Order: sequence, then C-alpha cells, then structure tokens
Amino acid sequence: MTTVNSGLARARRGVAPGGSGRPSPSRTSLNRASKLHGQTSRTYFWLILPSVLLLVLINGYPLIYAGVQATHDGSLIDAGNFVGVDNFTSVLGSEAFWKAVQFTIVFTIVGVFGSWAVGLGLALLLRTRIPAGGLFKVLLLLPWVVPIVVSSTAWNWLVASPDSPTNKVFTALGLETPLFLADPTLAAITVCLFKVWVSFPFMMMMSAGALTSVDNTVYEAASMDGASRWQQFTGITLPLTARSTYISWILMTIFCVNDFPTIYLLTGGGPVDATTSLVVYAYRKVFQDFQTGPGVAVAFLMTITLVIVSTLLYRQIRKSSVE
Amino acid sequence: MSTVLHTHTAPPAGVGQFNANGRKRRPVSEAGMRGRWWRFALILAVTAVVLVPIGAVVVLAVLPASASSTTGLTLENFSGVFEKTLASTWLANSLVVTLATVVVSVAVAAPAGYVLSRGKSKAVSGYSLLLFVMQSLPIITSVVPLFILFANLGLVDNLLGITIVYVASTMSVATWMMAAYFDSIPVSLEEASWIDGCSVFGSFLKVVLRNSLPGVLSTAIFAFLLAWNDYLVAIVFLRSNEIFTLPVGVQSFFQQNATDWGSVMALAVVMMVPPIFVFAALNKYFSVGGIGGSLAGR
Repeated sequence: MTTVNSGLARARRGVAPGGSGRPSPSRTSLNRASKLHGQTSRTYFWLILPSVLLLVLINGYPLIYAGVQATHDGSLIDAGNFVGVDNFTSVLGSEAFWKAVQFTIVFTIVGVFGSWAVGLGLALLLRTRIPAGGLFKVLLLLPWVVPIVVSSTAWNWLVASPDSPTNKVFTALGLETPLFLADPTLAAITVCLFKVWVSFPFMMMMSAGALTSVDNTVYEAASMDGASRWQQFTGITLPLTARSTYISWILMTIFCVNDFPTIYLLTGGGPVDATTSLVVYAYRKVFQDFQTGPGVAVAFLMTITLVIVSTLLYRQIRKSSVE
Repeated sequence: MSTVLHTHTAPPAGVGQFNANGRKRRPVSEAGMRGRWWRFALILAVTAVVLVPIGAVVVLAVLPASASSTTGLTLENFSGVFEKTLASTWLANSLVVTLATVVVSVAVAAPAGYVLSRGKSKAVSGYSLLLFVMQSLPIITSVVPLFILFANLGLVDNLLGITIVYVASTMSVATWMMAAYFDSIPVSLEEASWIDGCSVFGSFLKVVLRNSLPGVLSTAIFAFLLAWNDYLVAIVFLRSNEIFTLPVGVQSFFQQNATDWGSVMALAVVMMVPPIFVFAALNKYFSVGGIGGSLAGR
C-alpha cells in the first residue's frame, strides 16, 4: 500500500516524464504532467540553443561559403568569377594532389596503428603493479600535453641541427649523418614517428579506460586453464576492448587526416613536397600560392569524403553498441 | 564463460587463494617480484626515451649561450627572451584567449551535453550525429571562409576572433565529455528536485551541474589544451606582432633565431609550463575514455 500511496502522491505533485512515479489517471495530474513535459522540451530548446547557433554560424555557414569559393576563381579579397568544376578538375588532374593523398594515407595508417600499438602496450604495462606507476602514467602523457610548437622545435633540434646529439652519435660511430629532414623518405619517416610520439598518450588513455572495465578474474581463469600471455591478449583483451578500440581508431584517423601543425611545423611539407598532406597542400595553395579556389576545392573534397565516411562510421559505432 | 566458473570451484594450489570476500590475494612469489622489476625497468626505459625531446628543451633553456661568460646553469636566456621579444605580451594574449575559451566553451557545452544526456528525441540524436560530422571536418575548410567573414567584421588580427573559432572547435568533444559525465548522474536526483517544485532548468543548475565538478574540469582541461596549443587558427588570423599568441610568437622567433637555441628553448619552456601545470594539478579529473561511451550511447 505504501508504494501505491507514495506513487499517487508523487503523481499528484506532477512527476516529470521519464520519472518512476506512476501518474494516476485523474485529469489534473495528467495536465500537470503534460505541462511539465512542455516545460522540459522548452528548457531543452533553450539549453541547446547556444551550441546550435555556434555550430551553424561558425561551422555550418563557412562550409556553404566554402562550396561557393571552390567554384570561383577568386582570392582572399576578391570573390572572382564562377568557374564551375574547373578548380576540382585542375586539382584532381595534378600530380601534387595525388602525392598528397598518398602521404595522407601513409601518415594516417602509421599514426593510428603506431600510436595504438604503443599506447595499448603501455596501458597494459601500467595496469600491472609497478613501483611509481602513477608517476609514469602522468609523465607518459607529456608528449600529448606539451604544445606541438614546443615539441616540434625540440625534435628539430634533435634531428636537424648541426650540434644535435643524434649527429654526434652518428659522427662518433664513424657514420655519415643522415639528413632526417632533408631526405624525402627519411623526412616522411621522421614526421610519422613524430606523430606517433605526439599521439600515443591519447591512445594510452583510451586503452587504459577500456581495460579498467575488463574484470581481472577472467585473466586468472584463463591462466589457470593454461592460456599463454599471447592467447590471453588475443582471446580476452582484444575482444573485450574491441568497441573502445574501434572508436579510438576512428577518432585518431580523424585527428591524423586533419592534422596540420605536426607536419607543417616539423618540415613545412617538404622536402620536395615529400611530407605534404592534404591539409598542408590546401593551406599552401590558399595562403602561399594565393590560389583560393583550388585550395578550398581540396578542403572541400576532404570534407565531402569525411562527411560520408564519418556518417557511416557513426552508424557503425551505434550498431556495435546495441549488440 | 565456463572458465570463469572454474575459478570458484577449484582454484589450483599456489596460483592464488580467495579470501572470504572472493577477492584474490596476490601471492608475492620471487618470480612475481622479478617480473615486476623487469616491467619497471622496461617502463623506465620507455619513459626516458619518450621524454628526451622535452628534457632537451629544459636543459637547453638553462644552459648559457656560447657567447656568454656565465658558466653553469643560468636563467639569463629567460630574462633575455623577455627583454628582446614581446614574450610577455604573447603570454598575456595566450592566457586571455585560453581562459575565455575555457569559460565560454564549458558554459555552452554543459547545457548542450545535458540535453544530449537526458533528451530521448530524434532531434537530439540527429544533433549528436551533426556534432560527430562537424568534429571530423578539417578546420582548414572553415578557416578560409571565416577569414573573409571576420575580415568584414574586423575580427581578423583580433583576439576575440580566434576565441570564437576556438570555442566552436571545442564544441563537439566538450559536449560529448559533459554528456558522458551527466550520464553517470542518476536521473532520480533531478526527479526528487522536480517534486520539490524545482524547474527543469533549476534542477540542471542546482542539482546536476553542482555535482559535476569532475566533468566540468575535464572539459575545461580539454578546452584549455586546445586553445593553448593551437597553431593553425592563430597563424591564419593573427597578423601583427603584438596580437600574437604564444604558438605564433614562439614559431616566428624560432624562424628568425634558429641558431640561438638557448633563447628559443627558454621561450618554449614558458609556453609548456602552463599546460603541464594545469594537467599535473587536475590530471585525476581528466578522462577521454568517456568520449567513446558518449559517442556510442546515443
């Protein structure tokens, strides 16, 4: 009886939608409930409005305007004339564009899986009991916390300055000093390594978050059944953290494709465009060659690809969470 | 699942005993201890290698320049850099922009995150998809049109201009982070306040937000790092030396004085101390793990 009474009492005072109170069928309480429901929707509207306005004005409007610019031959100051798809065809026909596509793909694959492998490895290590484990956890996040401007300067000094320690090591060994940022292949490798160095802490945090949800007893059980460490890793760790891993790959892919400072500050896109990704390519077209149309066309092509891919991936994430 | 059941029926001797609560007591065997020290050595080595670039910055900043008569460690690089550059102005600019971004983006993302967390309608999940799509777009696409728009509004070479762009670019992740935190707060708390006659907005402010300090701090740290570290937006929108934020200032100084490593690194230290300080102080609140759940949850 008491539960029914309290339920009625709460209903009489008008419990909001989604509440556990059972509204009585009397008219007044129904009215109150719907009034509160109306209030809820209205409040939600006002609560989300600033965010929507910001998104529309600062993210949405420029997207549409970018579409206009991509089909004009203007500059930053002058709108120019309508040229249809000329910018797109000229971009798609240029060798430099496809080279940038190629580098973007390599950079993204190395960036995502390199940082994931390192991040997951460290997260697994830090999960076990280690002296001063908490300190290591914080120290290992530093590459991600330190501004790229600072770390790229440090890397520049390490690999490219005449009095850097790497040079001294190579000279001491009697070897010729490798031109880390001047040789096209080496520069590409260095930039990719730099990206892994910057990004692994993020993957470490994501992995550590996922690993805390895995119950330790599962491992104990598996090891009693004679499962090797590797079998435990592939049979338990990977499947149980699969969803979070998948999400972290998606986020990191987006971060890598859209990355600008990591590449631009280390190499500026050179040597001979060897480390020019699509974003760097677009930036240089607009702000160095002053070809706004083609530059925005590149950005626009990326945008369309990313909208399609991210919508599909978003569906995929949601589906995986339902299962 | 059968393997799990085994543990409760027959724990083999020597592997581990279960106490009354069913919790395992760790056997500290010699092999276990040795494994622990191996892992410690491994992680120590990895951490040392990882921190080499950051260590290099600090060491170079406190070493005297080759032309200088000073020996040992010195702070003259720092005083020098503040004398001959606008470092103090850049530092102030960066602080103003970053703090403004943090405050505004939490103020906008918290209510939006609340709606995302509690709202069940189609429109809300549509907005969540929109946030995800916006997050995935290259910022360069919107930077060029915004540059033209801001030029007309007088917001180019203006700290307010880049603050607006920063707030907009934190929006997606900040909203997810807030929503993820609100998800962990039971709805029954709000229901109780509604019964006490509180409005929906009132209960959001007084009940939900009041209990969300870790979520707010987490979002604030994220916004702080984004605004403090950004380079692309700053290099496009800021033109004159006295309006530069630290990233642009440091980079321009580096390009002009590439051989004066002491001064360059002193400036770099000035730039990396605030984010490290913020992170060290508030690290326990920061969690990116929630983003995943927040993305998948709705």
